[in-house]
Amino acid sequence: MKHSAAKRKKNVIASFFESIGQIFKNIGVTFVEGDIKTKLSFLIFGLGPILRGQVLIGAALLLLEALFFCYMFGFGWQYLSKITTLGTVATQKVGRKTVYGDNSFLILLFGVLSIFAIIAILVIWYLNIQENRKEELLLKEGKRLPSNRTVFLSLFDKNFDKTLLALPVTGIFVFTVLPIVFMILVAFTNYDKNHQSPTNLFTWVGLENFKNLVSFGKTGIGGTFVQVLAWTLVWAFFATFIDYFLGLAVAMLINKKEIKFKKLWRTILVMTIAVPQFVSLLYVMKMFANDGLINGYLIKWGIIDSYIPFWTDPMLARITIIVVNIWIGIPYMMLIATGLLMNIPEDLYESARIDGASGWQMFRSITLPYMLFVTGPFLLTQFTGNLNNFNVIYLLTQGKPQSMSLAEKAGYSDLLVTWLYKMTVNDTNYKMAAVIGIMVFVVTAVITLVVYNMLPSVKDEEGFQ
Amino acid sequence: MNKSYKTKRKISTAISYVLLVLISIIWLFPFVGLVLQSFRSYKTEFGGMVDYLVPHSFSLDNYRFLFSGETNFILWYRNTLVIAFFVTIFQTIIVLCVSYALSRMRFKGRTILMRFWLVLGMFPGFLTMICLYFLLKMLGLTQAGAVPGLILVSIASCGMGYYVCKGYFDTIPKALDEAARIDGATRARIFFTMTIPMSKPIIIYTALVAFMAPWCDYVFASYVAFGHDKSYNVAVAMTRWVWTNDYQGYFTRFCAGGVLIAVPVTLLFMFLQKYYVEGVTGGAVKG
Amino acid sequence: MKKKLVSVLLSATMAATMIAGCGGSKDTAPTQEAEATEETAEETTEETTEAAEETTEATEDAAADTADADLGSGEIKVWVADNVVDFTNEQIQKFMDENSQYAGYTVTVEAVGEGDAAGNMITDVESGADIYAFAQDQIARLVTAGALEVVEDNNAVAVEADNDAGSVSAAKVGGTLYAYPITSDNGYFLYYDKSVVTDPSTLEGIVADCEAAGKNFYFEINSGWYQTAFFFGAGAELTYDTDDQGNFTTCNSTYASDAGVVALKKMIELAGSKSFQNGSSLSNATNVGAIVDGTWDAEAAKEVFGDNYACAKLPTFEGADGQTHQMSGFGGFKLLGVKPQDDENKLAVCDALAAYLSSEEVQLARYNAVGWGPSNLKAQQASEVQADEALSALGEQLQYTIPQGQYPGDYWTLATSLGDSIISGEIAADADDDTLMQALTDFQTTCEGYAQ
Repeated sequence: MKHSAAKRKKNVIASFFESIGQIFKNIGVTFVEGDIKTKLSFLIFGLGPILRGQVLIGAALLLLEALFFCYMFGFGWQYLSKITTLGTVATQKVGRKTVYGDNSFLILLFGVLSIFAIIAILVIWYLNIQENRKEELLLKEGKRLPSNRTVFLSLFDKNFDKTLLALPVTGIFVFTVLPIVFMILVAFTNYDKNHQSPTNLFTWVGLENFKNLVSFGKTGIGGTFVQVLAWTLVWAFFATFIDYFLGLAVAMLINKKEIKFKKLWRTILVMTIAVPQFVSLLYVMKMFANDGLINGYLIKWGIIDSYIPFWTDPMLARITIIVVNIWIGIPYMMLIATGLLMNIPEDLYESARIDGASGWQMFRSITLPYMLFVTGPFLLTQFTGNLNNFNVIYLLTQGKPQSMSLAEKAGYSDLLVTWLYKMTVNDTNYKMAAVIGIMVFVVTAVITLVVYNMLPSVKDEEGFQ
Repeated sequence: MNKSYKTKRKISTAISYVLLVLISIIWLFPFVGLVLQSFRSYKTEFGGMVDYLVPHSFSLDNYRFLFSGETNFILWYRNTLVIAFFVTIFQTIIVLCVSYALSRMRFKGRTILMRFWLVLGMFPGFLTMICLYFLLKMLGLTQAGAVPGLILVSIASCGMGYYVCKGYFDTIPKALDEAARIDGATRARIFFTMTIPMSKPIIIYTALVAFMAPWCDYVFASYVAFGHDKSYNVAVAMTRWVWTNDYQGYFTRFCAGGVLIAVPVTLLFMFLQKYYVEGVTGGAVKG
Repeated sequence: MKKKLVSVLLSATMAATMIAGCGGSKDTAPTQEAEATEETAEETTEETTEAAEETTEATEDAAADTADADLGSGEIKVWVADNVVDFTNEQIQKFMDENSQYAGYTVTVEAVGEGDAAGNMITDVESGADIYAFAQDQIARLVTAGALEVVEDNNAVAVEADNDAGSVSAAKVGGTLYAYPITSDNGYFLYYDKSVVTDPSTLEGIVADCEAAGKNFYFEINSGWYQTAFFFGAGAELTYDTDDQGNFTTCNSTYASDAGVVALKKMIELAGSKSFQNGSSLSNATNVGAIVDGTWDAEAAKEVFGDNYACAKLPTFEGADGQTHQMSGFGGFKLLGVKPQDDENKLAVCDALAAYLSSEEVQLARYNAVGWGPSNLKAQQASEVQADEALSALGEQLQYTIPQGQYPGDYWTLATSLGDSIISGEIAADADDDTLMQALTDFQTTCEGYAQ
């Protein structure tokens, strides 16, 4: 598997360049061999198809081209033209009146959108050329072009995927891809509280913010970053595996033959999934407060003399978070394990019992290997999910306690993602938030890639499909 | 020998029951506390934090407050319901469409699309919050328009959450499709008349998950509402009662509101639990 | 290079548009518009000085005969804390009834707390409120972000004359007045339970009483605002100077001194008490014996303490240097700000409304409605204000405090970190003086780093 990966990669790169070459060749051939309709289509999209009677396709292509130019000259160009500087006109005061200058934020956002629009129109241009080529070849062979009706109906049959995916892909593009590209670019600007649109301009600063991230001196945040990253990984590890094994144990407990009211026990446990977390976790947060219910009763009963600092001691706060997370996490695992445990053939256990195996031995040699094999991908998604588990941390501690030894308002229980949130919302420090965001991505991606290739169940079945 | 085995078994069963009862107590304790506090009398014991579990006197003060019109609680509740309702409908439809296309159709760029979405999913969502806010603002969907805005953002990106549903479709034999296609059925026809009717559990699972998410959205929702009280959802409005000092004596009111939110969502969840289990189990195994 | 490529592509495709016939009126119109705005922007740069002169005249004229001028119409959004929304609505209604020339404007009041308001204004000035209330510690941030308009000249004269000196200086950044003071009760003092605390004059006594009764003593040690009670009390200093744009220019700090160590030691000692709880919100407190809190919690305090309700100035504490120090702290203020506008008429209406909402009459009415202590000198002399128990405790405390000036936002979080480090024991209870001095030196250096 592993040795072929490198080879495959090479092939991927080679075939990529090959296909690029193919594209240019196609364009050239089409132009040289094409008739006047095709040649004109290079400028006016869809003209060829329209003249050949393929009105539906031609009109769609033409409409897209028209839309592009309307967008570009009506809206996009004024932003795109300033993207190299992100604006130069400062906000002015005219008497008591405020006249806002360039808005760097909008310039960057719509500049990016315009670049996407240009890429899209190039792709459409190529599709348009291909369509012309296809039609010409068909006609040359003496075949008839499909009727408009056929073309339309194919959207519900042969091309049904295009109908199904059009909206979701557009939605994801506008509301996920565009913002992500935008924020990645913000990491290379000085967009922060002192450079806030629309009053102030921000501009490109190159790798300045990344330098800040890896500088460990007095002014840099390198040390803090390493600390937060380390806790993020430790947290994700414990949150995933403790919940996994305890959940498995609880599931096995309930699955025991002798236990009655199975449904009741399960229902009690899944309460924590059903009740919205902001209700349950905020209450739990108050419960464990220094002056909260738990400390109150422990003191009243004389078990402790002074309160236990569940949230204010760095180490204790981290432990308490992990413990509370068990309360949330076990039920998920229990639900999953319950179904899977029943899939293990009973005779496996029977024969083991005859061989005189103890419960623990059976667990170790039958249950656990099976579960690990089947739930490998689940464990991976749980782990990456926990890396970004905002709700549990933020509702419980908001990342506190803070410390003099941590920079940028980070706290001891902060995950990268809560830190990122605090930078965005409390501090409007977008540039560093963007850098942290990219780091979260890198960490997630690396872990996913490494672990994914090690999973036994992935080696057997072909990944995705 | 036989006897000792039996007693051993009895003891182990007893221990199991004790464990289960203990676990149940731990699991239910916070909810019991929440409910008890929600009934604490505001008049005699104020609405702040206390360090005891059982109120000295019970009353409906806090619930009365929520419905008294002193806050927009009913409006917030309605907003959340509206969001949850529309998100449920559209998200289910979109997820079904995407899953079907990816499970059944083979088209150019299919694997690339799936890989690309997988990579996109690795970026933390909060990263894009500020950008999404300004996008929605351009569309006029912030502040007064926050409710449709939130619906739009939720459903716009939900296509990426196709894994579980596609996994389910993959288990429906392709031979069925092939047979129908030989009989001349179009893809669309197969999707609507064959696949969907066979997918009741996964549809319910998708809908249930979609319905539950908006109840806990306080981060992005508070951004989009941007101080416009009438567009808050319950989570945004009520986290303020706990987190900011502007609201003195709102703790029991928070508990009461929490109970009102938790009860219907929990009931719905319990009612559809079976499908939920099927969904998460299938999803976990498929990955 | 990239730019060139783009423009080549564009000019090529431009030709295509002509043929395609799209380039009608539809897409040229917005372009022209865009150009037009650009031009105006450029023109304005040249004409600023001229225009500035003109407009000062114009505003003077406008102030003289607002009654006749047509102020147009529009919407004005006001953000205030939840508990004064109704009150503010009433006052605005009254204002509109009295001033028919503003009839074209509709005013909406939203409940946005003072903390959130500043944060929101900075995130998106355009969508923010036109008039909003905030605590003074936000003012420099708001000025930097362009979320505050300078107070109109005539109003500025009136504001400076009518309000107490502390509140006026709190509303200034550099030498410029940016906001209208509405309260000067943003300070803290001691609420306590008469049956628990017998003598509220010394910190040691209060803590001992609370410990004996098994009650909690609340002090928000991890807040930069409350912390200063110890530092300033022991004689350490921390102030900042700003320029007119809200940038911090110099930091004057003597935290890294013997006085600072005395304060820090006392805070560590306090945090070590089993009755100590970190916090300053009465309704989030349990089993309260005493709490250091402000007037905004007076109602809650009466609810919680019932017949044993009492308040007093902050206590004194016995320092490690053998001296007795009176706890000090900040006297702070709440302010009302007006957002910069691109419409002068609307700005005039906002000015008038903000001036009204911070006037003597309204401040007094606000005191009567919700108990907020006025910053207006005449309102402060009113008999009902003079008789208020919490306000007089605050008044007594205020003589020991310094009026809160401008502090960078980072200071507050840094102070939270210091407080958290004390509570968590990271700064150990048995640390020697050198260690403490080191911590304070770090703190001071970082504080100084916030000023360029």
